[in-house]
Amino acid sequence: MPKMKSTMERREFLAGMALLMAVAPMAAHAKPAPSPYQPLLREVAQLVIPRSATPGAGEVGVGAFVLLALDHGLEGTRGFDHAAWLKTALGTGFLTQPLARRRSALAALDARAFAGDAAAKPWLAIKRLILLGYYTSETGGSKELQYVHVPGRYDPDLPLKPTDRAFSSDWTAVDFG
Amino acid sequence: MDFDAIVVGSGITGGWAAKELTEAGLKVLMIERGREIRHQQDYTTEMKMPWDMPFRGHGDSDLFDRDYAVQRLNRHFTEFTQPHFVNDAQNPYQTGPDTRFTWFRSYQLGGRSLTWGRQTYRWSDYDFAANARDGQGTDWPIRYADIAPWYDKVESFIGVSGAKEGLKQLPDGQFQPPMALNVVETHVRAEIAKRWPERCLTVGRTANMTEGKPEEGRAPCQNRSICARGCSYGAYFSTQSSTLPAAMKTGNLTVITDAVVEALDYDPATRRVTGVRYIDTKTRTRKTARARMVFLNAGSFNSVHILLNSAPGGLANSSGVLGTHIMDHATTLSAAALMPGFEHHTTFGNRPTGIVIPRYCNMDQMDGIGHARGFSFQGGALQSTWTQGNRMAGIGAEYKEKLRHPGPWRMVLVGFSDCVPRATNRLTLDPVKTDAHGLPQLRVDFAFGKEEHAALAQAKAEAAEMLIAAGGKVLMGFDQPGPAGTAIHEMGGARMGHDPKTSVLNKWSQSHDIANLFVTDGAQMSSSACQNPSLTYMALTARAAHAAVGMLREGRI
Repeated sequence: MPKMKSTMERREFLAGMALLMAVAPMAAHAKPAPSPYQPLLREVAQLVIPRSATPGAGEVGVGAFVLLALDHGLEGTRGFDHAAWLKTALGTGFLTQPLARRRSALAALDARAFAGDAAAKPWLAIKRLILLGYYTSETGGSKELQYVHVPGRYDPDLPLKPTDRAFSSDWTAVDFG
Repeated sequence: MDFDAIVVGSGITGGWAAKELTEAGLKVLMIERGREIRHQQDYTTEMKMPWDMPFRGHGDSDLFDRDYAVQRLNRHFTEFTQPHFVNDAQNPYQTGPDTRFTWFRSYQLGGRSLTWGRQTYRWSDYDFAANARDGQGTDWPIRYADIAPWYDKVESFIGVSGAKEGLKQLPDGQFQPPMALNVVETHVRAEIAKRWPERCLTVGRTANMTEGKPEEGRAPCQNRSICARGCSYGAYFSTQSSTLPAAMKTGNLTVITDAVVEALDYDPATRRVTGVRYIDTKTRTRKTARARMVFLNAGSFNSVHILLNSAPGGLANSSGVLGTHIMDHATTLSAAALMPGFEHHTTFGNRPTGIVIPRYCNMDQMDGIGHARGFSFQGGALQSTWTQGNRMAGIGAEYKEKLRHPGPWRMVLVGFSDCVPRATNRLTLDPVKTDAHGLPQLRVDFAFGKEEHAALAQAKAEAAEMLIAAGGKVLMGFDQPGPAGTAIHEMGGARMGHDPKTSVLNKWSQSHDIANLFVTDGAQMSSSACQNPSLTYMALTARAAHAAVGMLREGRI
């Protein structure tokens, strides 16, 4: 083990090791290339799913996941540079604008895409990837929503209260809902 | 290596053949083309969460396009289940110019018993008499009474949960207690029954157990609904959870994996098969195994492939129909509807089965519109979760809050139509293209006809009517079948029949030409019915094994 200069360094090192241990066996091949679009995607993810009682999408690494996903063509994104398109669509100064302006610019793009504006269509795939990244993260899947790997029973009719959280582990709902 | 019997394949029927033959005291060799997968130890993704996976369970699209271009179209194929499906790039097949055929395969110990949909339905005499009634295909040499005791045996052993409904077209079986219809399905069942008493919505009869079999190391279903990853609880029927341990217990079974059978050895002097030739894929050497009889259970198309590759013009093919009359159910999403009125209801747990509305037309009256056989529906009611956000405009706090809670109830009905057996739908060996082992690739020529299109058109109209009658708002529905193979019920190619001149197998799933050769997987099917076929394959396998053992003991084979 390398020598540590400070407790902070040691803590970061251990956290880094833990992260590496967690992802190393399967994810070793799945590292995205370093991307200049990382700050943009992190911010856009956070605007779509902001912090509430639980962290937002940018905070839990969804920006990086979206870049990885784009790199591997998820959601039919192969053959078109979605990240570059997004940067152009939101304008070069996007990240330096105040939060309210960033939010309204993205909301306008989202509204155009859902209204069928062909020029805004690439946003739909990016948004799907943000949702996928967030609700399959540990935070989004098990803190914002509920995740039960082994339910052990099936209750066919329970009262639903307005505060009840959905299940990210309801695979049929994920597939067909 | 000399055995009493060789079983080629270790899937749903191979496991049954091995169990029945070894329990009868025969020394059996089971040959599996794929790798070994051990129960419990080798279900590598079973306990993984989405965040444990590099691509969150969704998978690497580039990899899937390159190596799993067909398999990825299977709805059970995910990053979690990918280890249980074949690599398409390494296992190519050819299709005719007008054919779209998605051939979903699992080359491994246990075969597709690990990935199957587990729906378990008896066929009735409407099905076994279908060819005789409308003159298409050749008459089955058996009827329901011939197979009913074997259905009993198979259901009792594999563990099937389901509700008895007393339907002639979908006979009741040896069921464990049914899984429950959810609140919306219960409502829809009642509304349909009010208006159409002959239509019965019931919970899917599934080989997921609601009661354990502790003596066999099998626990009841945990309602995870991630079956195709493999189930360490042994709660659904697979070779690994059920038939393989039973066969191993006899001490009479030898299993070889990573061994691709290329052909059967045939002795024209005795008119008997003497064994199989196979390629040990680990050492890339060719080997032979010998036995007194052979059971082909390689999967419908691969069993036919082996016969086609065993002799010029095909082995056991004096009839000339080997490879012909292949079928797959024509299937499509007949209707999807929003089901308002249940906003204060929800469920807990993931039930690993849906609902079924069994065939209700062309039974005692020919009332089908433009077709003479049956269709049925599977599907279910479900409540949306976060993926509804894909269709929803909006960003920010309010959007996140909406996705935090269960969304609207929806109900889907997926139609499955009987597939008419046709001589033009057939398997051949590609004259040029070979696979990695140098074997000719299989070529599939297949098209649905006007009967299947008419059935799915009627299914679309009536699915919408039923959901509307139950208060639903129909969102969409289709009447065109997906590509053939979509139902993953490919069958036929070595059909059973009375006449050796027009069929490959007799009523014991035994070759008309070669007495010690049995084909007991889906290849033996003479018609398709409109319900899932796996239970019938298993029952026919157990029945054939019993007959074969008797013939062997009597010295007839």
